[in-house]
Amino acid sequence: MSLLEISQLTLDLPGGKRLLHGIDLSVEPGRTVGLVGESGSGKSLTARTALGLFPERAVLGGSVRVDGVEVLGLAGPALRALRRRDVAMVFQDPRAGINPVRTLGDHLTEALRLGEGVSGEAARKRAMELMEAVRLPRPEKHFHQYPHELSGGQLQRIMIAGALMGNPRLLVCDEPTTALDVTTQAEIVRLLATLRDERGMGMLFITHDLGLAGALCDDVVVLAGGRVQERGDMAAVLAAPAAEYTRRLVAATPSLHLDDAPVVSLPDAGRLAGAGGRHEAGPATGGAAAGEAPDGAASAEATAGTRAGDDAVVPAEPAVPSAPAAGATAGTGAGDDAVVPLLRVDGVSRTYAVRGKDPVTAVADASFAIPRGAALGVVGESGSGKSTLARMVVGLETPDRGTITVAGKDRTGTPRGREERLAHARSVQMVFQDPYLSLDPRIPVHRAVRDAAALHAEGRDPAKVATELLDRVGLTVEQQAARPRTLSGGQRQRVAMARALAVQPELLVMDEATSALDVSVQAQVLELVTQLRAERGLTVLFISHDLGVVRRVCDETLVLRRGEIVEAGPTAALLDHPAHEYTRLLLDSVPRPDAGWRLAG
Amino acid sequence: MNIVRSVGGKLAGLVLTLFLASLLVFFSRFLVPGDPLSFLLRGRKPSPEAIAAVTEQYGLNLSPWEQYLKWIGGIFTGDFGRSMQYRQSVSEVLLDRLPVTLGLVIIAGLLITVFGLAAGILAAVKRGTWVDKTVVVTLTAFGAIPSFVAAVGFIALFAVQLGWFPSFGSGEGFWDTVRHLILPSAALALVYVVLIGKVTRSAMVEQLGREHVEVATSRGLSPAAVVRRHVLRNAVGPILTVSGMLVAGLLVSSSIIESAFGLSGLGSLLVQSVDRLDFPVVQAIVLLVVAVFVAVNAVVDLLQPLVDPRTVAGAGAR
Repeated sequence: MSLLEISQLTLDLPGGKRLLHGIDLSVEPGRTVGLVGESGSGKSLTARTALGLFPERAVLGGSVRVDGVEVLGLAGPALRALRRRDVAMVFQDPRAGINPVRTLGDHLTEALRLGEGVSGEAARKRAMELMEAVRLPRPEKHFHQYPHELSGGQLQRIMIAGALMGNPRLLVCDEPTTALDVTTQAEIVRLLATLRDERGMGMLFITHDLGLAGALCDDVVVLAGGRVQERGDMAAVLAAPAAEYTRRLVAATPSLHLDDAPVVSLPDAGRLAGAGGRHEAGPATGGAAAGEAPDGAASAEATAGTRAGDDAVVPAEPAVPSAPAAGATAGTGAGDDAVVPLLRVDGVSRTYAVRGKDPVTAVADASFAIPRGAALGVVGESGSGKSTLARMVVGLETPDRGTITVAGKDRTGTPRGREERLAHARSVQMVFQDPYLSLDPRIPVHRAVRDAAALHAEGRDPAKVATELLDRVGLTVEQQAARPRTLSGGQRQRVAMARALAVQPELLVMDEATSALDVSVQAQVLELVTQLRAERGLTVLFISHDLGVVRRVCDETLVLRRGEIVEAGPTAALLDHPAHEYTRLLLDSVPRPDAGWRLAG
Repeated sequence: MNIVRSVGGKLAGLVLTLFLASLLVFFSRFLVPGDPLSFLLRGRKPSPEAIAAVTEQYGLNLSPWEQYLKWIGGIFTGDFGRSMQYRQSVSEVLLDRLPVTLGLVIIAGLLITVFGLAAGILAAVKRGTWVDKTVVVTLTAFGAIPSFVAAVGFIALFAVQLGWFPSFGSGEGFWDTVRHLILPSAALALVYVVLIGKVTRSAMVEQLGREHVEVATSRGLSPAAVVRRHVLRNAVGPILTVSGMLVAGLLVSSSIIESAFGLSGLGSLLVQSVDRLDFPVVQAIVLLVVAVFVAVNAVVDLLQPLVDPRTVAGAGAR
């Protein structure tokens, strides 16, 4: 008898919309099953049924058994007892998942005290034990602290300790590390694996990250559109994905190791300017990608195998030779820009005063330059100052010291007055992280782009510019007339790019512009960036926490830590042979299914 | 240290607000048509000596600024000047009327808290069902009833038809006073029950959608515990803030209710004094309302850190 046995699970909303179409999956004690899929695939819905959690008034069919006990239909005290003793869940964002107005001790002990009638003292003792078990530094102190006093990683440890209070046999983890920094993610994932082994728990691990699933899980179930696309042994599925969907997912996943398609370096350095394909592309649209994917994956596997000497599987995407125009652009750019870089940031610092605390240095003495037509990646964790840097370049923020020059003109500080503002906007445009927030919900997308173009018309017809750009980023006529609400995340982000490009900026700043997107959508947007760079010689400052994404887009990369640039250089060299320990730490923290990362049970 | 500083800041702000309000209250009198002297003389034609004596007695011969300084100086010693209609000190007139209004506002406050919260909690917990819809529609309908119409309606139903409560006057002794104040308080509270009910509902519905509520549910807490400890508890902030804003409205609305029920409180005194150009009384009452409003909101601000630990006292929510 399996610990968790889900069979033929269906879920219909009251309106009649079916979200899950007969899901089967099982989890054995001590094993970890990865539930992989993109947003809307139904992975969270499926996993939550193990705790009897589902949308109000949803109609369920099939069966969900925990240790042989049917969960569907369970209600009242029996259901609550199941949640307290048998199945527990770790949620994605501990910042949102732990009540901000109650103490952590209260969070940990309330279910025991109120549900099981355990005395306050006994519950407190158990909370102390578990805070030790999840390796929190000062349990006594944390017990009386509030969530805002702890870091995200510490809070996630509290969340895990809270889930373990009732000694559950099955732990459901819903993207437990997605809201965390990459180094913290590594610690939390290792902690989860240890706890699972110590307690012999079964684990159902939801993630969109194939690398992470590959590192942690024994088995995998791939979901899309509420249907199981593929299931099987984790390593086997990664090595030879059978389903078409899995193959596309593997291909779209950014990787640190694109050995068969090396990134060519900056044009100005003269190292590799104009040589061959400048950028490896994401999966080409349409059938070509599907056809090529297996070959690409196979060759990547072969390469990885010879290199690492183990059974590691490296997802890679098919290399598509770039247009000859790209090489030409780079070639012509090389001559001019060796002299005057498009963006020059010189000794820039920014410090924030915090009430009642020491001032925080967000950026300290940063200096770098981007030649015209190049792409620079800025990598760092939260609090590294990468967003402050972006905001200063865009002119949303004034540096305390230093200068920022775009195309030879001084662009330091926030512009004053209409003229200066427009001039700054023509120099630099930014694509923001969350396209759900950066587009006005009341304005149809064509108008949004047209308005931006009209401000900087210079003899162009704004409507025509908007149509051209939106066509270019791949939106249909109907989508162009629509409001953002009806568009998907990827479509919205393409609108945001069109809007930025309507101004014809010399520099495009992308601040975590693909972080909120699914991997397949992210791949499309990255592909678009690559194409636009090739066509227009666009210069890009690309900010990301994701080393794989940076690898895919950028010629050069710099690594920020606590406001300081710790390392900079050509992306490929930097990622392959990191000189600074912090860069190495970042790289080692990226989960991948190879020797150092075998965490499966 | 932080607390001391923020309380100090609050007090300084309070004093500044009251000072500005006193300027506005005092000098607005000079913009209003009508001469206090002619009211004092009541159409008689006394001798110039008599006029001079009255002018002297009420300080009307001084320049506006001198009058203001005299007035504000008096306030610090508890002297709000002399009422022109009663020919006695304003403080005595106010103290005479204060208990009725205080009783009215306290009973109304209790009704608002009990019925507003109950309606809001019920609607939020049963959101999307017919219970929720009924509560919301009823609240909206009640919210559309002006308080003087509610007063007339309550009198017709509970005093005339059913005879449960008296319709007029403020009664003798504690329980009789309470009995007399029930209907006026209910009429006064009606609109505010609606406001608090709706704020409670929306604040709770917002919390119900939060992930920490789902986490609490997934840990096996009973629905009642989840609502009490994670939904209602977190909704207290907005409810408290809105409640603070309502205090001034409650005091001002009481003037209408007091007139309708024939109560002699501050509200009816204010209306009557405006009518008779009794500026010292008007100024004192308006200043009192401003002071109560500012003080209540300062207290609400100071309570916020207790309600939400993320709010550092005086720094606002982040």
